[in-house]
Amino acid sequence: MQKKLIAKGLASTLVLALVAGLNIVPAQAADKELVVWADETRGPNLTKVFAAKGDWVSGYKITVKSFSSFDALKDAVDKATDLTGPDIIVGANDWVPTGAKNGKLAPITLPASVKARFTANNFFDLSYKGSLYGVPLDINNVAMVYNEELVKNAPKTLGEMVNYYKANKDKKKLAAGLCIAGGGTSWGAHSVLSALGGAAYRMKNGAVDSSKAPIDPADLAKNIKTYLLDANGKSNGFFPATDTGCKDNYLDGKVPFAIIGNWEWQDYMGRGFQMNLMPVPGVKAGSYGTMFGSVSGAMLTSYAAKRGVEAGAKDLLINFFASTAGATAYQSIELRPPAEKGAQSKVEFTAQQNFGKAASKAGIPQIGAILNGTTGSKSYWDLLPAFWTAVLVNGRDPLTEATKMNNYFVKNITAGVKDL
Amino acid sequence: MLENIFRHLPKVLKYVFLALTFSILVMFIQSAFAKKEYEIGAFLLLAVIAIAITYLTNLSIPLKFFLPGILFLSAFVIGPILYTVVMSTFQYQTGNYISKSQAIERVQMLGIAPDEANTTFDVVVGTYKNQFAILASDSLNKRYLISTTSERIDLASDLLTINENGVAIKSSDFSPATSDEIAGLDRQISTTRFKYDGDYFIMLEGSSVGAVARQVLNYKASEDKFINLVDGSQFVDNGRGNYANAGNPEDILQPGWRSPIWFSHYLDLVKDESVRSPLFTVFIWTVIFAFLTVLTQFALGLLVAIAMNKPIWGRRVYRSIFILPYAMPSIMSILIWGGMFNTEFGAINALLGTDIAWFQNATFARVAVIMVNLWLGFPYFYLITSGAMQAIPSELSEAAAIDGASPRQIFARITLPLLLKIVTPLLIASFAFNFNNFNLIYLLTGGGPRNELDGQIAGATDILISYTYKIAFGSNIQDLGLASAISVIIFIIIASISLYGVRKSKVLDSFS
Repeated sequence: MQKKLIAKGLASTLVLALVAGLNIVPAQAADKELVVWADETRGPNLTKVFAAKGDWVSGYKITVKSFSSFDALKDAVDKATDLTGPDIIVGANDWVPTGAKNGKLAPITLPASVKARFTANNFFDLSYKGSLYGVPLDINNVAMVYNEELVKNAPKTLGEMVNYYKANKDKKKLAAGLCIAGGGTSWGAHSVLSALGGAAYRMKNGAVDSSKAPIDPADLAKNIKTYLLDANGKSNGFFPATDTGCKDNYLDGKVPFAIIGNWEWQDYMGRGFQMNLMPVPGVKAGSYGTMFGSVSGAMLTSYAAKRGVEAGAKDLLINFFASTAGATAYQSIELRPPAEKGAQSKVEFTAQQNFGKAASKAGIPQIGAILNGTTGSKSYWDLLPAFWTAVLVNGRDPLTEATKMNNYFVKNITAGVKDL
Repeated sequence: MLENIFRHLPKVLKYVFLALTFSILVMFIQSAFAKKEYEIGAFLLLAVIAIAITYLTNLSIPLKFFLPGILFLSAFVIGPILYTVVMSTFQYQTGNYISKSQAIERVQMLGIAPDEANTTFDVVVGTYKNQFAILASDSLNKRYLISTTSERIDLASDLLTINENGVAIKSSDFSPATSDEIAGLDRQISTTRFKYDGDYFIMLEGSSVGAVARQVLNYKASEDKFINLVDGSQFVDNGRGNYANAGNPEDILQPGWRSPIWFSHYLDLVKDESVRSPLFTVFIWTVIFAFLTVLTQFALGLLVAIAMNKPIWGRRVYRSIFILPYAMPSIMSILIWGGMFNTEFGAINALLGTDIAWFQNATFARVAVIMVNLWLGFPYFYLITSGAMQAIPSELSEAAAIDGASPRQIFARITLPLLLKIVTPLLIASFAFNFNNFNLIYLLTGGGPRNELDGQIAGATDILISYTYKIAFGSNIQDLGLASAISVIIFIIIASISLYGVRKSKVLDSFS
């Protein structure tokens, strides 16, 4: 009796297990489906665009998977495997070197006619060791905005800005003269470093100029002492080493000049500020601090080939992401500055246009292969904040610190240009 | 009848429960094998067998109680430890994530170079004399051709139907594929190389663009090396997960693969100055941090406990207040403290009337870390020591007092020694916990400050676990292998401390 019962139990258990197992196994994706991964804003917007028009690539169904945040997307990309990965990732430019090194991204060759739809600089960030891994989607850059309530006219030199701050610091209870509201003290602050005479690298005829050092330490130290430090070698308060509170202070009218990102202009305009955008003026009239212009990209993965949809994925990149029609349809919802020139010409917002003008005056490409640093060196992203802290907070000698930073930059340029 | 039902009900419920468990596990097994997670699949399969044998037979009654614990312990403790130990023997870092066969495949794919002019064609995919072919157009130079894998036929424009963009769309003998056919031919489109000129071929970028290229790197399986077909250089397996140029070992091909390097990471911890030096500094600070934390938390907790041991007015209210920091979620407290220590806007500088850069200066940052941890941890020791003091017989103090001992002498010679005897295992456990107190460091200072300009790799407040996290996930070069090796070292330290604590508390004695 006992044995019978066990036998019956076992049989029913196994049957139930098999039935349940077979039924609950996740359904495999359809053969000709193109899977695009994007973050929490781009994902839903791409879904809307593809819902309105889904025939960008005939014979394929386009599925967009949206992640709850940019970090969640990054995490998923890091963990993706041949079986779980997408065909196209819409993500940050600095994922390219890592994605290429790890074999997660696959190269694509664009015909000249498609490349012509973008500024050549846009491709720097999406390239690694001579191969292009995606198409530019939207442009990210910063620009300096000034508060018209405080400053009537656009400043012509950095000295003019410093003088205004010193003269009005106590009277108008200014929290700072110039601060970084968008982009952080490394990416967003390059224009300040550059206005003071330094740079992460210099460009010449559309290429990185590795023939001379990006920083003249003596010149940078002299300018820092003149504009950012007081007679005792301490920060004069004009430029804080941190970006904490900058945006609020600007919005509260406590800072006359701020560097803001092109993704946040609506926050300022919503509070009644004009988008008086310009590059940070240099120490001499007519010179400007250069600022990074980076692009987010739609990147081809190596998983597309594994799933047998590589040709379709490339078609989607060319027909949609790199086309005027596709970029216009998408950016009309996403409202970021499009990288595609045809879509750019259709941008209606003055703020976006002004960011574009500022970038055309003093924009340089963001080259991850150099900025991310290399083994045995340090990344620009860590070095510049450390420099500001050393000089403006810890009171270290600007010449010594500038020399150290320059040495790292030179090392990064030497190693980085080999990867371009 | 009813009696029969009730008699068999436990068994019926047991089988229903087992059936459901098996169903779920079988689902997971199928899913794991489908995703090629063979280790997980195999473990789950063993778990099913173990569950079946244990609960469907009477082989071992104690095992029926222990099995769930054993399975969970294996899955969530022993498994990850073993995985970490195994990974510590691999070159497993950015650029070395995939398997060797995948790496070879991708290096081959990347080992293609376009021609100097970066020639591209607009193409139409189809068939030519029953062969898979493309009709290619260079509309600028008015060049047209049909290409298959074996031949290229140049065409005159007057033989073609050309659209308004100058792209040939029809030719005699060439049948264009429909869009549905193209979708079906995807893999073929992506992998076929169409004849062009000499070594050069046309490869398709999607279904409508062709690019002229040639294979530069070729894999020779018999010798396990890549050969550069242009300059003849050879790339051989360097034993660390990459093919390296035989004439210049620094020149490596990417991507690389996860390669066993056995104890290299452990040797690096000792031999490599760039690894050893920051690790040693971090280790010293970790010990100091854990020791100071325990010391200050215990001291303050004891002080409060002694104060609260006296019958004072409002004692219950004070006790509740003192427990509050312990009751608050620590993550919230740490973030609030982080804001309070902010140089420009923080309450601490505002109250003190200073402008101390708490998190930019190494000494101040360390002081801040100890202070915040003191706030978070002293209620625990307050509770522990309060309880422990109740356990000390009051007769001892009374006898000492009668013998003329002062309150200070009673505390130093009677209360404290007895108290320490009781709480020492807890102090050891607290030391072990703080040795790994990742949340505090990560949320409060992020391990900083770190002066990159001075070449610092570890931050001033980094403890071993936060430093390991940085190595694994905190930079552009994520070295999971090295991080695993450090994790193994941390595990050995913590396990040793814990074992010492367990022995000290004589917990194991009760089982013997």
